[in-house]
Amino acid sequence: MKDKQTTLDSAISTYTLNNLPNGVFITDVSKEIVYCNDYFSTELEWEPNALIGKSADIIFTLASKVFYQTYLIPTLLHEKICEEMQLTMINGKGIRIPITVNVKSDNAGLIYWSFFNATKRDKLYEELIQARETLEQQAEQLKLLASTDELTTLLNRREMKYRSTLAIELAVRSHHSVALIQLDIDHFKKVNDVYGHPEGDRVLKELGIRLKEFSRKTDLVSRFGGEEFLILLNDTNQQDAILFCQRLHQLIGEVKAGENYIKASIGLTISTPDSIFKTLYAEVDAALYKAKESGRNKTELYNRTGIKNLNSML
Amino acid sequence: MPISNDVLTRNNVKVIGTGSKTLMLAHGFGCDQNMWRFITPVLEKKFKIVLFDYVGSGSSDLSQYDKERYSGLEGYAKDIIEIGEALQLSDAIFIGHSVSSIIGTLASIEVPTLFSKMIMICPSPCFLNFPPDYLGGFEKQDLLELLNLMDKNYIGWANYLAPLVMGDNNPSELTGELSSSFCSTDPVVAKGFAKATFLSDYRHILKDIKQPTLIFQSKNDSLASPEIGRFINENITGSELEVVEADGHCLHMTHPEQITNSIFEYLNK
Repeated sequence: MKDKQTTLDSAISTYTLNNLPNGVFITDVSKEIVYCNDYFSTELEWEPNALIGKSADIIFTLASKVFYQTYLIPTLLHEKICEEMQLTMINGKGIRIPITVNVKSDNAGLIYWSFFNATKRDKLYEELIQARETLEQQAEQLKLLASTDELTTLLNRREMKYRSTLAIELAVRSHHSVALIQLDIDHFKKVNDVYGHPEGDRVLKELGIRLKEFSRKTDLVSRFGGEEFLILLNDTNQQDAILFCQRLHQLIGEVKAGENYIKASIGLTISTPDSIFKTLYAEVDAALYKAKESGRNKTELYNRTGIKNLNSML
Repeated sequence: MPISNDVLTRNNVKVIGTGSKTLMLAHGFGCDQNMWRFITPVLEKKFKIVLFDYVGSGSSDLSQYDKERYSGLEGYAKDIIEIGEALQLSDAIFIGHSVSSIIGTLASIEVPTLFSKMIMICPSPCFLNFPPDYLGGFEKQDLLELLNLMDKNYIGWANYLAPLVMGDNNPSELTGELSSSFCSTDPVVAKGFAKATFLSDYRHILKDIKQPTLIFQSKNDSLASPEIGRFINENITGSELEVVEADGHCLHMTHPEQITNSIFEYLNK
């Protein structure tokens, strides 16, 4: 037992930094290499002692030098130690090698570096980064799919409700009003019956594109149901909203279904300081119903004292 | 459109000082409005000063960070425009550090009435080399590796940019003080800003700057060389270049007196 311990002590006593399977070097205040172990010549193909007296800049890539200056040095200033930094080292043949370094400094300004080759770990990181980017892209695609109507690419019902709720809350906070517009294509069932569903879909798609182009970037435009579109105009008063609806009728009248131009009935309401989406939607729905009841192809404005037909107001 | 109060909170906008003229001070990558504190005590005696943090930096509202909007410098320019709208600014004087010089330029082109004069501190319209005509300082491989290292080390790297921007030969006490004062940055946001900053090429917009422009460039700056200053000077009609005998990328921190004197002199012309 004693002989075994003696042998071990003897082995350890001859063991130096040169026997370690990782790189060790020391730099001074001016970044000059004052010591490096044999790992540099045995594993990194530098000539023995070729690095002594040279700037540590020659063993790092430019990006690693930026990291050295911007992260390592400030961390050492505060903590005296910086662990598990990944950097890229250049070997004696100019090959780039990913390394993981632990660094500490002393009061004399010497910096002690130890590092190991992190080529395999780097591959794992690459895969992790790739997996994260793929997941982010997929999440964005799913979000888009979940928030838009497939046919028209406008907002779908769920997203419209969500965003309208936020827009109405914001309007209340900022003492602005919003206009909510519900648009329903008149006799759309006939379009499908006479010209077929593909033509019906084309009409919805064309109208969707036109509505989107016609609206401001800040407005919300959605396909809220079959042939029903819901539009929220941000920061809009009654006068501007009425003008918008007039133009909407003109715009809709330019869309053809088969040989005929389509028409639509429109409900309109303007928010008040106590509006919420649910009440505004009920109002605009009542106004749309009234527009349909009273002959279609017209806009009805909801007001708190009763529904008004815009044709009689204008 | 966001409402005024939301923008002012979102971008942690502070208005200090008194004066008939307004200066808007826009910090660079990896920093926040704290970086101006070496020159604001002098400037605020004569000017009204608007300070802010870009969304994702400093004490801005991180929940307002939109990856798509801030994937290009145009998104950051929108922050400037929206702050200008919220404060109803016009004919203000813009002072931008580093990449903010370009962000401010984008804002001034979009809303020409916003600024009457531009002051750029260590600007670079492009960090990439396009030899022989333009040397931005980095090969694409270097910049991609830089972004890659940000990812792999997963650190809010931006908050430690101070020593680089300070230069190697500046006192370590100042370097240490600055790096500790920078607030932490979310790694993903920092990477987005770094990507928008380092991989962009806005050399072509310089000719669209109509405002008189003062350019400060440091003699020894690993991010923006005096040659880049000369390039900008040649491409902006009516611009002036002042190359300062200094190290580093942060002249308003390392040489605040010289910078404020030159600013006063320029604005009094």
